[in-house]
Amino acid sequence: MTPFKLQIITPDGVFFDGMTENVIVRTTVGDKGILAHHEPYVAAITISKFKVKIDGEFRYGAISSGVIEVGKDKTVILAQSCEWADEIDVDRAVRAKEIAEERIGHYEKTNDRKNLDIAEFKLKRALNRIDAAKIGK
Amino acid sequence: MASGNMKDIKRRIKSVSSTRQITKAMELVASSKLRKAKQRSENGRPYFEAQYELLAKIASVKKDFNTVFTEPREVRSRLFIVIMGDRGLAGGFNSNIIKAVTAEHANDPEKPKIIAVGRKAVDYFDKHGYELVGKYPYFAEKAKTADCMDIAQVAGDLFAVGEVDEVLLFYTAFVSPLVQTPEHCKLLPINNIGTGTGDDLGLINYDPSPEAVFDRVVPKFLMSMISCAAVESFASEQGARRTAMESATDNADEMISNLSLLYNRARQEKITNEITEIVSGANALN
Repeated sequence: MTPFKLQIITPDGVFFDGMTENVIVRTTVGDKGILAHHEPYVAAITISKFKVKIDGEFRYGAISSGVIEVGKDKTVILAQSCEWADEIDVDRAVRAKEIAEERIGHYEKTNDRKNLDIAEFKLKRALNRIDAAKIGK
Repeated sequence: MASGNMKDIKRRIKSVSSTRQITKAMELVASSKLRKAKQRSENGRPYFEAQYELLAKIASVKKDFNTVFTEPREVRSRLFIVIMGDRGLAGGFNSNIIKAVTAEHANDPEKPKIIAVGRKAVDYFDKHGYELVGKYPYFAEKAKTADCMDIAQVAGDLFAVGEVDEVLLFYTAFVSPLVQTPEHCKLLPINNIGTGTGDDLGLINYDPSPEAVFDRVVPKFLMSMISCAAVESFASEQGARRTAMESATDNADEMISNLSLLYNRARQEKITNEITEIVSGANALN
């Protein structure tokens, strides 16, 4: 397959910058696979797993909300955070999941809508990470 | 008389040199934090730039492109997001920002609403009768994504429901380790962004629609603007503190050397006095 240029950029820096043959991400309207010479395309990405084909092999990762922009000469993914599946700190994700669940449990007592939203977001992210780490193995 | 004076001087030397130790330590801490903050602000830059480019691209797709975030409207009430430090002892860092804020709203009929970031900002704006819609003390050093998102959310919501008609962000730009200048920029409404003609860009396929993607990107864009500004302000604060502490240390050094001179002079005087006394005593005996 024809390779094309892919960049994944997060607030912590450039996460990935190289050639790939196929990228599959989950957008707000469904899964989307990008191959070389795809038409120019922009969509928002939800908290999800993604895969990138490099030298004929898929590499898996976890992404937490962002935007994908397919241009003529390169494809850019802007993500709030991004990790390869084999680099995910599972213990940390499990801890984050437990804390988030506990906070959601508190909601009935405090009725704090804002904290609930944050906790739900964190729980989604933690579950996504744990899931991605499993696939990566 | 002379010995009492000597004791005084000695005590002062001691107190100045212990102050010097503190200022020196603060200078070192500030310069190491400055290095880290600079690194962080450099890491975040590509993300910010890519995001800006994307927004500009979307905004220029259609000439009649309009969402709630781009529509200009009559400005009746304004929201200032002010990023300051958590601690003092940083030269004019905090007061310069306050000056910039007061100068900006000097001609407004009423005071703006404020989102105060940093303990100093919370203290000041609370005390001076501003309406605080958000308080974020102890923020800049970590600049957590969740907090930045929170601020972006609050500002975006207030703007979307028409509570405020303009959102300004005040921060301190890091020009160089020695020069930091207070700056402000307009966050909302987003204008001047769509400079493209929209000719070849109409070919891009937006899923589900340009407006939907745009509205999803805007809060993220605000968030990264805020986090960039916070990181930069933090670097500036450390720079300002380092400079202030460096000059404090220099002043302490100068004071110590002056005092030592005084001390030695007093000691010499005392010895001379004693010798004169002994000599005159011996002379009197003869």
